[in-house]
Amino acid sequence: MKKLLGILVAVVMLLTMIPFALAQDVTIDYWFWADNDGYAATMQEMIADFNATNGKGITVVGSQVPWDGGGYSNTVFTAAMGGGGPDVATWKLTATPAFVANDLLAPLDGYLENWADYEQIEESLWEVMRQVGGGEKVYVMPWNTQVLYVYYRPSMFEAAGIGVPETYEEFLDACAKLTKDGVYGFGMRGATGGQEPWGSFIHARGGTFEDLTTPQAVQGMNDFIDLFKNGFTPPTAPSDGFSQIIDNFKSGLTAMTVHHIGSSAGMVETFGEDVGAFVFPAGEGQWTSMGDTENVMFASCENKEAAFEWLAYLAAGKGQETWCKVTGNVPVAARVKEMEEFQNNPFMKVSIAGAPYAGILPILDTTTEWISGVWPATVQQALLGDITAEECMEILQTELHK
Amino acid sequence: MQSSVARRKHPFRRFFLLILPLIAILTFLLFPYYWTLVTSLTPRQELYSANTVYWPAHPTLDAYGKLFGQFNFLLPMRNSFVVALTTTVLSLTVSTLAAYSFSRFRYRGRKFFMVLFLTNNMFPTVLLLIPLFTIMRQLNILYTPMSLVLSYTTFTIPFSVWLLNGYLNDFPMSLEEAALVDGANRAQAFMRIIFPVLVPCLLATGAYIFMQSWNEYTFAVLFTNDRNRTVPVALKNLIGQLGVQWEMLTSGGIITVIPVCVMFFFAQKKLVAGLTSGAVKG
Amino acid sequence: MRKRLRKANIWPYLLVLPALIIVMAVVFVPILNAISMSLQNYDLRRPKQIAFTGLQNYRQLFSDKQFTGSLYRTVLWVVFGVGFQFIFGFALALLLNRQFRFRGLVRSASLIPWVTPGVLIALMWRWILDGNYGVVNDLLIKLGWIDKNIAFLANRTTALPSVILTIVWQGIPFFALMLLAGLQGISPELYEAAGIDGAHSTQKFRFITVPSLKNTIFVTTMLRVIWVANSVDVIFNMTEGGPAYATQTLSVYTYLKANTLNMGYASAMAIVLTILLLIFSIPYLHSMFRDQGV
Repeated sequence: MKKLLGILVAVVMLLTMIPFALAQDVTIDYWFWADNDGYAATMQEMIADFNATNGKGITVVGSQVPWDGGGYSNTVFTAAMGGGGPDVATWKLTATPAFVANDLLAPLDGYLENWADYEQIEESLWEVMRQVGGGEKVYVMPWNTQVLYVYYRPSMFEAAGIGVPETYEEFLDACAKLTKDGVYGFGMRGATGGQEPWGSFIHARGGTFEDLTTPQAVQGMNDFIDLFKNGFTPPTAPSDGFSQIIDNFKSGLTAMTVHHIGSSAGMVETFGEDVGAFVFPAGEGQWTSMGDTENVMFASCENKEAAFEWLAYLAAGKGQETWCKVTGNVPVAARVKEMEEFQNNPFMKVSIAGAPYAGILPILDTTTEWISGVWPATVQQALLGDITAEECMEILQTELHK
Repeated sequence: MQSSVARRKHPFRRFFLLILPLIAILTFLLFPYYWTLVTSLTPRQELYSANTVYWPAHPTLDAYGKLFGQFNFLLPMRNSFVVALTTTVLSLTVSTLAAYSFSRFRYRGRKFFMVLFLTNNMFPTVLLLIPLFTIMRQLNILYTPMSLVLSYTTFTIPFSVWLLNGYLNDFPMSLEEAALVDGANRAQAFMRIIFPVLVPCLLATGAYIFMQSWNEYTFAVLFTNDRNRTVPVALKNLIGQLGVQWEMLTSGGIITVIPVCVMFFFAQKKLVAGLTSGAVKG
Repeated sequence: MRKRLRKANIWPYLLVLPALIIVMAVVFVPILNAISMSLQNYDLRRPKQIAFTGLQNYRQLFSDKQFTGSLYRTVLWVVFGVGFQFIFGFALALLLNRQFRFRGLVRSASLIPWVTPGVLIALMWRWILDGNYGVVNDLLIKLGWIDKNIAFLANRTTALPSVILTIVWQGIPFFALMLLAGLQGISPELYEAAGIDGAHSTQKFRFITVPSLKNTIFVTTMLRVIWVANSVDVIFNMTEGGPAYATQTLSVYTYLKANTLNMGYASAMAIVLTILLLIFSIPYLHSMFRDQGV
């Protein structure tokens, strides 16, 4: 029995080791994460479509890598530093500085010059791509964006006798009024990733990311702390991450929470008509976080021309259309944006309405550590009363601009 | 085989000293598994209800259907089995040899080797990843199950050697010495005397190696690709930026546990006292 | 005689060789690399500034409040985590060694926590302990022990005990199985003889079971301490080290630093942790080597 098993193991291993370099054509290794198994299947279909239609003998081989709460970027980094890794990979802007500093990414400028669809993507977005790459070169190919907005439960607003908040003051007021009968007004995110909704509070008081220690920014921080201290958020807020704020909203525990269109399908599935969205309202200032997903090509890629074809397919070709339709993300290509599906979706409308105020954190080489370690730990201390809002903002400022 | 001592116990005593504590510990150990099962059977609408659901009103097997259909969960399970079994055989073999050497011989460098093995496992793997990846690439086994077998073997050897060494030291040396005096060589003495006694310990150590290789994520995600992903990676793919696909993740968890427990059910029959007593008498 | 045997015999070395070769081939270079990184300001976010800095990283460690705090929490995490694992695991091993119906079934069922994929463990426990609709809160309220939900993982005082509870749960089967295997090696004649002499079960436990398992107990607890001290995924997936550092152990801190690419600092921390674990192991090793009459 043991022998048989041994032989079986050996055979299986041999089979998997047969190199698949039989094809003559160019192969592009593509790594991506998918937010659920349905999206993963869609990606494989898109890859199959590209392979069948590109007409240049390019075969993309897709490997799904777990998102792992952002650990995805570390997986890709380790592989690339170890001399392996993919040719093309799905991307988050925040990872860019470290990869550029280690010369792991291929600049795209040469290909972009001759790319017919360059104009499809807004110049402002190209400018953001250039900025994160150090200001001169574009390393990152836009793919789709997600503008954060506030989800709310119309039935709860009605019960509380209030309308959709138009100003920041009204928003804070709504958080208080909606808190009753075991429901909390606002689903706050105090764990990793919480800096995105938090940024809206800072800006609403007139603060900015350039200087987090201004009285305005501190005031925004105080508002954030007060929501928790006054019990307008679930008591679990300091440890609530993405999964919890969505679960809390879906179970009816919270009346409002901040996220982007990616979760709208699930919200509608849960609530039908009883879920709506509005842009995070303006106070002294107005800001909302822009989530992003891009693709990059690695310096180690041997067939850069072919890899660019795949990048282009995703950014402005059929891939752009399919992906955004299935996932509900905001397309970057003008041609796709104009399509009916995107114009009629109410959540897409709110996303587009919020777009002018949408921004990102300063992408510095300190940003990833700031997001994954400094922000949650420091803000949790402030929420739990260990440090004051001023002290909190002081730490956040120093660590970001270290 | 029945212990006569246990037989004589009063049933009342037996209840308080055996049944009750057993139930208490088992409840603690199995409750999360039960909870996983409930989650995997609960339809999504019920999952998000405000009341705690101890058993779903409308249990559904949808998630299981999806897991084996579209999600193709059998593939990672097969991959995990291949990797875990190969690792167990390899690691257990070399560890037993080394442990026997440490336990039964005294020689220069012995302590050094033992401490070296131990230190190896004290070091966090997260810092070794980049050079390890390079090594796997240079050995040309990247993206094959071999890379996982090699790394899991490396990282389970130290503990296995120490565990087996501990067991061997608990066995009286007199047994083999008698055999050696009778003219058997060391290999014969090992196979005839030590091996039968060691079976339960090999089983336990093998279980340790198996579990480590079965549950490992960090190496698995780096050294495999879509063709040879293992269970932990497949399951982690169900946790995206849009939250956890609870019903799929939990059904995957339920399924993963079953074959291993069934395997152990048959293996544990070797976990019986009496092997030694036979040896002593013989 | 003894000296001659040692010189002539290459067998012990040959037996160790395969294990040694595999381990050295794979980890030797990476560990050397980590040691050298710890002596540089090896921050991969700023690769162009990497230079030899001597013991700078180590000096920085001891003035880092997060480091000393993490060290303290590591001690609590290990002492309570391994301690309870051992107590309950040993108890379970003794119970599983007795005769009863469905023993095989119970034995394999009690392995479940160990078999459960790590990805799931932290998430399930997080859900079970959830402060809004976790079942633990629900049960405690139904029992009338508390009147209001406790946010176990968001609260500084309850977060660490919560993650410890999870690691205890996960580690019980390890001790149970290892000690159960060790119990099989004890000759039943010893118990029978003691029974004839009129020994109670507690006496048998103290004078037969424990001494016979001495080496196994030593080795398993030592290995488990090392393993738990180094474990990251339960804490990281349950709390990410929060709230406000309340569950940040040294290994979690190292993991965070390494993942944000400050490899030099992370390596220094890893080396300090390794040295501390070695120091901790010395009494164990000493007593073990002494018993073996090296």
